Amino acid sequence: MLIFTFRRFGLALLILIVAVTTMFLMIRAVPGDPVQIMLGPRATPELQARLTAELALDQPIWKQLAIFYGNLLQGDLGTDVFSGRSVTEIVFQQLPHTLWLILSSIIWSATLGIALGSYAAAHPNTVIDRITAAISVSFVAAPAFVVALLSLLIFAVNLQWFPAIGAGEGFWGRLNHLVLPAFAIGLSWVGYIARLVRASMLEVMGEPHIRTARAFGLSERRVVMIYALRIAILPVVTVIGVGMGFLLSSAVFAEIVFARPGLGKLVIDSITTRNYPIVMGSVLISTGLFVVSTALADLINAWLDPRARAAV
Amino acid sequence: MSKSRSELGQILHGVSRDPLGLMGLIIVGTILFCAIFAAWIVPYDPVGMNIKDRLQGPSAAHLLGTDQLGRDTFSRVIMGGQVALKVALPAVFGAMAIGLTLGMIAGYGPKWLDNLLMLFFDTIRSFPTVMFALAVVALIGPSLQTVVFVVMATSIPTYGRVARTQTLTLRNSEFILAERAMGASMKRILGVHMLPNIIGVLAVLAAMDIPTVIALEAGLSFLGLGVKPPTPSWGALLKDGYSLIRQTPWLVVGGGLPIILATLGFTFLGESLRDVVDPKLRKQR
Repeated sequence: MLIFTFRRFGLALLILIVAVTTMFLMIRAVPGDPVQIMLGPRATPELQARLTAELALDQPIWKQLAIFYGNLLQGDLGTDVFSGRSVTEIVFQQLPHTLWLILSSIIWSATLGIALGSYAAAHPNTVIDRITAAISVSFVAAPAFVVALLSLLIFAVNLQWFPAIGAGEGFWGRLNHLVLPAFAIGLSWVGYIARLVRASMLEVMGEPHIRTARAFGLSERRVVMIYALRIAILPVVTVIGVGMGFLLSSAVFAEIVFARPGLGKLVIDSITTRNYPIVMGSVLISTGLFVVSTALADLINAWLDPRARAAV
Repeated sequence: MSKSRSELGQILHGVSRDPLGLMGLIIVGTILFCAIFAAWIVPYDPVGMNIKDRLQGPSAAHLLGTDQLGRDTFSRVIMGGQVALKVALPAVFGAMAIGLTLGMIAGYGPKWLDNLLMLFFDTIRSFPTVMFALAVVALIGPSLQTVVFVVMATSIPTYGRVARTQTLTLRNSEFILAERAMGASMKRILGVHMLPNIIGVLAVLAAMDIPTVIALEAGLSFLGLGVKPPTPSWGALLKDGYSLIRQTPWLVVGGGLPIILATLGFTFLGESLRDVVDPKLRKQR
């Protein structure tokens, strides 16, 4: 397990280094003067000279990369062009909003999905099973931002059941503001997870260790809930880990539609004001988040099912 | 040639016997038809303004009403389908071609090249798609080409990985070994013998990928970072509809429903194609 952990995080680190370097080179490869692009229309000669020195653009490219990594290791992602505040600070201020949104979306959709999936597996080819299958195929591909817009139209503007914009104040206010965005993000996951759990549950129930558990005289309930479900939810863990990038993408749109604070709103606002350090900082941090969550999913997998440790 | 046509006929026959597949076929067929003949279907000029008739509800004259500039929403929805496919088809086919080539090289070539390409795939996949798209748009500016590029770049790894796995499995199969023993060139083995065995699986992936691509294009246009106005894209319709959501629901409906229909159609078609072309895949997902 320890060796597996090291190897998996080694791979994650390697991927992260390549990704960050690629992005660094991408910014440099764009035609035109990066300082000009970063400062946009605000460029005065003094500002340009200062930023050129700050980014070490007068140095050879490998030295620039070294300086960039040096700053990165100290948690320095540059400074906001407008306020002069550190990008790291600004991004980490917005990040919790996005993470809460993603977390609440996962929680409701995974709970419902796992419940529906296990029920469908225990009662295959019943009405509920068929309905779950039909719903999952229909919703799997529904883009979150369209669902967000339509639910905004129906539940916030027409029926006025839920607030349309903002993040809310106090616990209940926040929760109330979370309902529609979390619904929009989670909707496509319910059916997907249900189908996944159903398939893996049916597979697991045929395995020898379940037969052994039954042979020991354990109750059927205990066999299903403890021995089968534990293995059957493995694909869900992986899918959520790998789907983190997808969830982040959906969250960006949900934040825009419901005018919520968060990473997505920060990035879009920064693109409109051409505040490049913030855009790049957010992309870097969300990429890091994604890579780590994929690695974590693999680790949890290996922890729950020792057979998975042989991989990587 | 006649052999491949009958094969295609068989696949289509299989898909149309499955109710979901038939529905997918009908939806996708309708969308394709509307996109190809858009210029003849639209009752009004999709970019023609008529301020006097702005923000109307549905009527006989304007099936889905009009927007804030008096443009006919129905005409814009039909034209929007053309824009969506103009992005989706080249992007998906481009990604498929590049992913196929790289994946086959990774699967058949030397080990170090395989490792290098896999690292490349993993790296691209490590960017959250929309974040990557936003970074690229921020750097090179919004346009139809940017969207196509972003979509292509982000979906190459999916095709590449599948093509690699397929190549690896085929590599040691007996008919390839026989071919190698007879002294066939690498080009011949890959092009004539492996390609036909891989392309079916990739085509299924492509059909399932198109909804994602359509959604991404619409999403970027919704954010004002995709196709430029006044081009009628579904995302642009949603953008207008969002800012006018308290005045009229019809723009959001007009922009949203086609996206949902299109994703449904292509998903149904893709799932059904998968079951017909390669039932084994069903278990892997």
